[in-house]
Amino acid sequence: MSHGCRGYQMNRRSMLGTSLAAGSFLGLNLQSLVARAGTDRKATAEHVILFWNSGGMSHIDTFDPKPGRPTQGDFNPIDTSVSGVQISELFPKVAKQMHHVALMRSIAGVNGDHGRGTYQLQTSYNTFPNLRHPGLGNIAANELEQIGDLPSFVSISGQGTRAGYLGQKNEAFYVGVPGEKDPYLAFPEGIAQLRGNKRLEALQKMNSRFVSDAPSVEFTATETATKDAVQLMRSPALKAFELDNETEVNRDRYGRTAFGRGCMVARRLVEEGVRFVQVNRGGFDTHYNAFPAMQAHGETMDPAMASLIEDLADSGKLDSTLIIMLSEFGRTPKINKDAGRDHHAGVFTVFMAGGGIKGGTVVGSSDEDGYKPKDRPVQVADIHASVCYALGIDPNKEVLTPLQRPLKLVDNGKPVMELFS
Amino acid sequence: MAQVHGWLFRIAFVCLACLSAAPQASAATPLDVILNEENASKKIITAPTIDDLSFLRRLSVDMIGRIPTLDEIKEYEAWPAAERRGMLVDKLLKADGFADRWTVFMADLLRIRTNSDGGAAEMAFVHKSVKEGMPYDVLCQQLITAVGKAGKIPEVGFVLNDNADPMALAGTAAQVFMGVRIACAQCHDHPFDVWTREQFYGMAAYFGKTQRREIDFTKSVYAIETDGTRVKWPPEGLAPEAERKAMIPAFPFDLKLDAAAPQQEVRLVALRKAQADELARIESGKSASLDELLTAASTKVQSNNFGKTEQFDVAGEAKKAARDLKVDKDLYNQSQLRSELARYITHPRNRYFSRAFVNRVWADLMGRGIVEPIDDFSDNNPPSHDKTLNYLADEFVAGGYDLRNIIKLVVMSDAYQRGHLYEVELQQRKASEEAFAANPVRRMLAETMFDSVVAAGHLFAQKHAAGDNLKTIKEIVQVPVDLEGKPAAGSILTQLQGQGTGAAMGAAMGGGAMAAATGGGGSYDLESAIEVDFNAVLAMAKKDEPKVEQMMVSEEDQSARMLAEEQGRRKKYIDQVVERQIDDNPVFASAMRMASPAPPAHFLRVFGQPARDQLGDHRDHSPSMRQALMMLNGKMTHEASRVGKLEPIYPLLVGKKADLDAAVKLAYREILTREPSGDELADAKSVIAEAATPVDGMADLRWVLFNSHEFRFVP
Repeated sequence: MSHGCRGYQMNRRSMLGTSLAAGSFLGLNLQSLVARAGTDRKATAEHVILFWNSGGMSHIDTFDPKPGRPTQGDFNPIDTSVSGVQISELFPKVAKQMHHVALMRSIAGVNGDHGRGTYQLQTSYNTFPNLRHPGLGNIAANELEQIGDLPSFVSISGQGTRAGYLGQKNEAFYVGVPGEKDPYLAFPEGIAQLRGNKRLEALQKMNSRFVSDAPSVEFTATETATKDAVQLMRSPALKAFELDNETEVNRDRYGRTAFGRGCMVARRLVEEGVRFVQVNRGGFDTHYNAFPAMQAHGETMDPAMASLIEDLADSGKLDSTLIIMLSEFGRTPKINKDAGRDHHAGVFTVFMAGGGIKGGTVVGSSDEDGYKPKDRPVQVADIHASVCYALGIDPNKEVLTPLQRPLKLVDNGKPVMELFS
Repeated sequence: MAQVHGWLFRIAFVCLACLSAAPQASAATPLDVILNEENASKKIITAPTIDDLSFLRRLSVDMIGRIPTLDEIKEYEAWPAAERRGMLVDKLLKADGFADRWTVFMADLLRIRTNSDGGAAEMAFVHKSVKEGMPYDVLCQQLITAVGKAGKIPEVGFVLNDNADPMALAGTAAQVFMGVRIACAQCHDHPFDVWTREQFYGMAAYFGKTQRREIDFTKSVYAIETDGTRVKWPPEGLAPEAERKAMIPAFPFDLKLDAAAPQQEVRLVALRKAQADELARIESGKSASLDELLTAASTKVQSNNFGKTEQFDVAGEAKKAARDLKVDKDLYNQSQLRSELARYITHPRNRYFSRAFVNRVWADLMGRGIVEPIDDFSDNNPPSHDKTLNYLADEFVAGGYDLRNIIKLVVMSDAYQRGHLYEVELQQRKASEEAFAANPVRRMLAETMFDSVVAAGHLFAQKHAAGDNLKTIKEIVQVPVDLEGKPAAGSILTQLQGQGTGAAMGAAMGGGAMAAATGGGGSYDLESAIEVDFNAVLAMAKKDEPKVEQMMVSEEDQSARMLAEEQGRRKKYIDQVVERQIDDNPVFASAMRMASPAPPAHFLRVFGQPARDQLGDHRDHSPSMRQALMMLNGKMTHEASRVGKLEPIYPLLVGKKADLDAAVKLAYREILTREPSGDELADAKSVIAEAATPVDGMADLRWVLFNSHEFRFVP
């Protein structure tokens, strides 16, 4: 943890004084402009769909089965479309898509506590006083050009990672209930388009009068935000948030669950150009009666994920869309007295698909009972470095925080090159 | 004025104004004299003093967290011009809204989260302390030393906020109360500061015996004091375990307690002795310890009259304060180590303590701290105005650590009452703003903006006649079913039918449950939230119950609990479409009393309310598209704009007494605290003329005013 502070020491003094006057509270984030230029290596992916499984998902009951061991639990392994790779029977449909999927079964985590684990898995950094590190979605929004009218980073069924020192403009756009209309994206009920537009014109007039008396840069940022909002409200791309045109067949394929609808919306958003979609789902903290809970999770996740991979593959979009599933840690191999599993950071699995990764790859493995990495341990920050690598973002690029402290986008991770062909 | 020459003209105007600025407000206060001295060598432009109505708006926003109402404007304008600013300050310091607004300030400082263990009770307690004027040093002593059950002993919320972890608490105590960032020294000697790792451990050792204890059965949470310490030296891994010894607590600053007491301490001691004497006289025969007296004392001491320094009437003020006293005899078990730490932290000779607090108050009122970031005092980050900061800090101490006292000192200064220099070239303007010779761009706080829309839109009470807004809505609700598949009694469905609206779910939240804004009636209501009833929370804390619950629980009780949980998990839910008629006549509660921090997508969070889970996580006032969408399309702005029959503006729009000019002027006064110009009046009338009816047109106009820059930025 000391590296950040030492960098701070060298840079802060030399930079204090010259900088703060102009920007920090204006939302202009001038600091990021100063940051070192990124790499020009070609990206393998343009979009990311991140499944955030909150609570700590069991690795043994999902993608790292331990058949015949006392830690196996209730589920048997099944064969997949990749010979020699087995996953839990909870995912029969995903198993058929395995040739698009890569598994990293040797993540060497360190934080067995929800708060710290979540923080590290979302940001690659450990918690640190007076700093809020951005998550992958915020990094993507900051580093990549927006495509189309929709925001670069959208979070479904829950909150996206926080932007921290990357600023408000890189916060996730929030979709509370996928498929449900977001009233904030249209004029209020009872205000017709024509009337709403007249209001906007009158507002513009009023604000330009104000700004001509007070010609100040601060107001420009507020106006830009309003312009962006209006552009979004008027964009045909908003249809991507709606599921009205999805067929009954499709609804059945994805499953009639919030997660199924979330996956459908995620697919539509990516097709519309959204850079990063985070789909949130909770309920993985299975201290008690883990197996019925996992059974239910499988029933919800399997059809949705498999259909998503299948549809993206069919439309050709899978090659440029990286799917990744993260959770704060795995769960204990040992089954506790309440038929549950407790927190276990020692080793767990990360699921990835598409986005230029080599389908069917399995990186590393855990020991025979699923306690520790057996070979090729992958550090948590390596996951983030790999996602950045796929997006063509230099994970070591330094960004200056508002306090002029240079920080790498990712906490010294190395891309896991075995994933990429 | 002609466009081309406009800018030059404004510069000329400003310079003329600065020549004539001084006499417009009160004569320079001692604070201004010191500030001006410190600015003497700087090449800055001093902005003119703002006009009376701008002052009313600015001060209302800062003191009571909303813009003034029509009645308040009228009252103010009726006061004699030479005295109205001072009268307003005195009035707002006593207003109910003051405690609400400054509880938000305190909650940011202390990082109070109503959904954390004991958080709601802590918030209610802090609200009470602000309301009653509890001295800040006493408040801090109570927070630092408290032991007991979350919710029952409101103050323990502070220690539990950091899970009673000694390391976290050391960093928090240093940064929150003293503005010193020593948390970095947890892992290594502070790289650019003087803090060593050993000093950090010395600080942490004060919290070494503190622990969080959760009782499995009742889920009650306690902060307790144990015998052994958890903080050992050398740090883990640097020495064999057997050689690590209990760390001896050590306060990192030398407070020079052997030296003669500085002036501010002498004044403080005199003040408190006078208060104690007065109390003893009133309660003669009874013996009260000094601590009790201090705890209960409500000091309203005026150390300073504006425009001239003078003798302050300590005894007189103390008598007045003592009359309000109600000694709370409830003394809690306190931690000896933490009591010692609290004494050091709040010691009148600890300038870190007083400077850190007044700097935050100053930053809140002036838009920028004398030290920035506001909680990063260090040799490498010197204050921009050292003497001004010391003056404020010393007055704060001498005046009995009274929040109102220090606020009054600031808001009565010329510095606070200065306008903006929007017209001036950026670099010059920034230099002036950093010298506090001009007011920087300052957007209202999220809570203030929310309450201002609600107040100006007449949404604190129903404004439509009953039955005017009947509509039928459909909702999908999840209903728990019993074994036969019928909705179970007490389900969400029955609650909805019984209560009409989800907003009624309020009630007190002792344990600190927080309703997500996304729950209840609609998934996308990001503007309403559950209100915390401070009084009810504190009343609950007062209820009698065993001080410490049984820590051990019988086997039978354990299995009963597990069975109950098991049944809870097995509960089945079905979706039901509920159709019901509602009279959509919405009323909004003050944002100041909402469970906070609000959920991340909520209006308040989108406008910068901090998550309060980390040190140094201050309010972000930068604009975003989400903010724009909230204001353009949100229900609150929409309802605030719509005209209700019960509003004063309605008869000016409909019927025989309709008077469009008067209606527009009223709208401007209510929303922007000023009269419209001739051009604006004409524009407004054409907006109204284009609408289907004058009532619709007024809604359009008000929507525009609410969304304007002028509304959200402090004048």
